[in-house]
Parts: sequence; C-alpha cells; structure tokens
Amino acid sequence: MPLKGIIMQYIPNTPEGARDRLFGECQERRRVQSALTHLFRQRGYSEMITPEEEFYDLFTMTGSALPQEEMVKIIDRSGKIVVLRPDCTTPIARVAATRLKDMVFPGRFYYNETVYRSSAAHRGQRSEIPQCGIELIGAKGVKADLEVIACACDALRACGLEQFYVELGHADIFPAFARRLSMTGEQTETMRSLVEGKNFAALSDFLDRFDRHSAAAVARLPYLFGGAEVLDEAEALAGELPALHHLRELYSGLCQAGYGEYIRFDLGMVHHIDYYTGPIFRGYAQGAGDAVLSGGRYDQLCASFGRPAQAIGFAVHVDAVADCLPTPAPAKVEQVIHYPVSRMGEAVALLDSKAPGTCQLSPCGDLESTLNMAREMGIPTVVILDENGVREVEV
Amino acid sequence: MRERLRIALTKGRLQDKSVAMFEAAGLDCTPIHNPGRRLIHPLPNYPLDAVLAKAPDVITYVEHGVCDLGIVGKDTILEHGGSFYEVLDLGFGRCRFALAVPEGSDFYGSYQTKTIASKYPEVTKSFFRSKGMDVDIIKIEGSVELAPILGLADGIVDIVETGATLKANGLTPIETVAEVSARLIVNTASMKLYKGQIEDMIARCAKEMRNTR
Repeated sequence: MPLKGIIMQYIPNTPEGARDRLFGECQERRRVQSALTHLFRQRGYSEMITPEEEFYDLFTMTGSALPQEEMVKIIDRSGKIVVLRPDCTTPIARVAATRLKDMVFPGRFYYNETVYRSSAAHRGQRSEIPQCGIELIGAKGVKADLEVIACACDALRACGLEQFYVELGHADIFPAFARRLSMTGEQTETMRSLVEGKNFAALSDFLDRFDRHSAAAVARLPYLFGGAEVLDEAEALAGELPALHHLRELYSGLCQAGYGEYIRFDLGMVHHIDYYTGPIFRGYAQGAGDAVLSGGRYDQLCASFGRPAQAIGFAVHVDAVADCLPTPAPAKVEQVIHYPVSRMGEAVALLDSKAPGTCQLSPCGDLESTLNMAREMGIPTVVILDENGVREVEV
Repeated sequence: MRERLRIALTKGRLQDKSVAMFEAAGLDCTPIHNPGRRLIHPLPNYPLDAVLAKAPDVITYVEHGVCDLGIVGKDTILEHGGSFYEVLDLGFGRCRFALAVPEGSDFYGSYQTKTIASKYPEVTKSFFRSKGMDVDIIKIEGSVELAPILGLADGIVDIVETGATLKANGLTPIETVAEVSARLIVNTASMKLYKGQIEDMIARCAKEMRNTR
C-alpha cells in the first residue's frame, strides 16, 4: 500500500484546562500585562524570565506550599522529574540566592509568565495561568511591606479595576491565638483548616473541648474580617500582639498615602501560614469569584537556597483580572489597498499611516478580484493606488 | 456594589426545608413555589435571587462565584470538596455516612484487602486512608446494597437514615464514617465584597436554626 494512503487521525481539540485565545481575548490579557509591567518598571523592578520547566525537587525541598498532585510533571532524558513551573516566586528566589549571590540587595524583580497547574477534570479550572508580579528581596520592615502593598493597590488600579479590595492578614496571628490552647499538632491543623474555611459552627463545636475562656478568642478569629475595626476587636480578645501592631502601622501608612479606601483585613487568613512569615494579602475584585491577587512576606525561602534574605512579593492573576474588564472590540478593517507590485513601497507607507488594524494590503493581482474579496470580507472601501495617484472606491 | 445576592439551593428534600427556613425568617418564597418556566427566582421582599440545582452543581456554582451562597448537604461537600466558606450547619437533612457489611461477617477479621462499593469513592477513600488501611473501591451508581449481595464487595459506604434499607438487604452498619446535614456555603470573594449582605443572610439563618432547635 502506498504510504500516501495512510491518513493520520488528528484530534483538533486542546487538552482540558488549556485554550486558544483569539483577537479581543488576547488584547484583554495583553492590556492587563502591559499596564502591570509598565507600573513595575516604573517602580524600579527588573524583569526576570526563568525556565518554563524546573526540577520537581525545587518546589518540594523548599517548603513551598503547593501539593504535588497539582504540579504538571515530565520525566526528562536523564530520568529526573521536571515540572512545568507551578509558581514564579520559588524560581526567582533560587536565582536571587544563587546566580545573584554577589548582588547587593535589596533586589527588585518582576515577572510576566505562565504557571501550570494540573487540576481535577471538569471543574472549569485553567491549567495555564498567566501571572504577573513582583518580588522585593533583601528588604524587611514596615517600609518594604508598605512599598509592596501600595504597589499591589496601584497594580489593580492600573489594570482598570474600579471596585476592588486588598485584604491584609498576618501569618503570626493564628499561631498567637492557637498558642493559648494546649493542643496537639494535629488538632492545631484541624483548627487551622476550620478557620481557613470560615467553618464557624464546626469551629465552635471543635473548641467545646478546650478551656472556654481561651477558646472564645479563637472562635471569633474567622469573623475578624472587614475594616480596621477588626484590629481593635482582635486586640480586645488577644491583647497586644506584634503582628497586630505591625498591621496597624501598615494601615496608618497606607491611609496616609491615600490607599485607605482599598484596604480591608482578614485576621482569619491562614492559607500557607507555614510558608509566609509576616503580612499576607489578597486582592478581591467585583466580577471575580476568587482572589485576583495574592502575596505576602516569605523570609525563609531564600535561605533554603543558601542566601538568607527577607522577601515580600505578590502575583496578579492576569486572566482573572481581564475577565472583570470589558472585552475590547477588535479594530474593524475599513479599507483594503489595491496596488501594482511596482508601487509596493508607497502602498506600505500608506498602510502604515492608518490606525492599526483598520487597513490591509490586497494580495490580488487584478482590481476585480480585490473588489470581490472586499465584498466577501465586508470591507467597505478599496483604496486604489496606481500611476494616477490614490483614489477610494466604495464597495 | 451589586444589589442582589444569588443563592443556589439543592433540589429535592433540602429545597423544601431550605424554603421553610427562609419563610420562617420572613423571606417571601412565592416565586420558588410557582417557578413557571423561570430558572432564576427573585424574592420580592429581600435582595436575594434563588436558583435550584443538583447538589454537586450547587458547589460548582458557588466555587466559581456565579452564585454567592449555596445550601448543600455535607455528604456532597465531603465527596466533591472545593474551595469556599462553609459558614453554617443548618441542622436539617440529618443523616450519616456509615460503613455497612453483611450481617455476621467479620470485616476487620482478616488481612485480605477488602473491596468496598460506594456512590461516594472520595469519602470512602479518605475514611480508609485515615485508618491507614488499603481497600479497593468500586464506584456504583445505583443501589449500592446490591454489590455485597452479588459478591462484588465486602462492604459498602453509604448514606444511612433509618437503616431499614440496609437491614432488608442483610447488611448492618458497623461504623459511622461522618455525620451529614445541610450546610450554608459562601463564595470566598463574595464574603469579602458583600460582607454586610452576606452577614445579614447568615444571621437570619442562624436565628431560625436556634428557634427550631
């Protein structure tokens, strides 16, 4: 049988979680990315592009919080396990602590990348998640935190979001509340997940077996979200805590700088508190069903690569932000230029003088074909460029 | 900010009890009683729109934020998981997940790997994992009681209300896997964006629960 006769069956679908983005959808994503990268450069951050694939161990040995089943894995030629980057912060910390070990810190880095997650089937989750964010490495204290949180507010504003909050929490608050109860590690983890899920009823049932007075404070923890008044309530419940004091300082700094209206608190924010070491924050925008921005301080990560350095950063979930914004209408083609080969230079110059996307060159040899093509494509005007100059013909 | 919240109610038994709770709390649920061809039911005297959905879909809608709130059984939450706030145990729709085995059989008596039939493979998996026990799990879509009778499984993990069905099929519950009741769940972003409205809704439900207890 001649080889020509074998037809390979090709399945034209994309894998679940991956998708094609066309025209307006691309503009939507690019507009958010360019607003963000412009802001980050303005603030003195330099871009870092790290590989799409990294060794699996990079993400498991350094205490980063991602479960292994969510990473997309490949076995490379040498038999090592490689993953498609599930997060941008860990690779940047790796570079900062190793290749840039002689760089004088603070280092300010930004990225505009895609992270990959393997998620359960048919849950409507994306496996390719574009993220754009910053890391401020080698700086600690209120001013470094303020710089980054202010940048987070400005980032969401720069994208064009109108209704959004940046919500602050602190990794030390839950341990400070939990310390008042004598619990096993396992019980503490149960309690943490009940606080994380704002599982109010189950939490108070769970706390029934502990000392009533100390438990009362913890039982309130998931309710402590909203405006700055929750800081007062937390202090009434738990007394002076360094973490609360730190949040107050951040809040007053942010208010003085004009960011007060965007700031909210959730003292029951306990996601990945083993990884974060200070303030944690998330951005919520009207129209998005989940956080559109997430970040926090992670002072241990760089040390795991051999160069201790305090660090804070955040990532903006580009598509989640883009989905909250109106999709721009792609430019409509209004004109097509018909020209002889000898006048190609003039035709291109004419094309370049038009608004982007509104004009095209005709690939047709004769005018009749150009007119037909314009008619079929719904282009209203044919511009004829020849020895008599330039004239327009309505189709 | 958006004016009306949207809630997904689980169709069927939980729906009737949810509606009864809303009505006791002073919400006019006439549009849910007379749905016509409408799929979204705006309540006339409270800024809330209700949709009716199958239990796992309630979770899906809330997780994606197209519904701000949902009422769904703990059984579905345990099986499907997901990321949302589970704010209230509503107290109705009570039943339990149990491990049931043929009467007289000694389930834990041998080292042989057991086979369990269930409509809830995730619940079954995490139950036996917490015991450090390896089992083979077979997902059954219909009457799970049939599997041990036919000799396919050594036991089942299923919802038990009275135990009558189990008994009629020669099965006996030997262990409770989890207690189940209806829960009020909230989308994580909605909780933050519409705090006042959501808190009012939670408070109304909590008050009704206390009244009925």
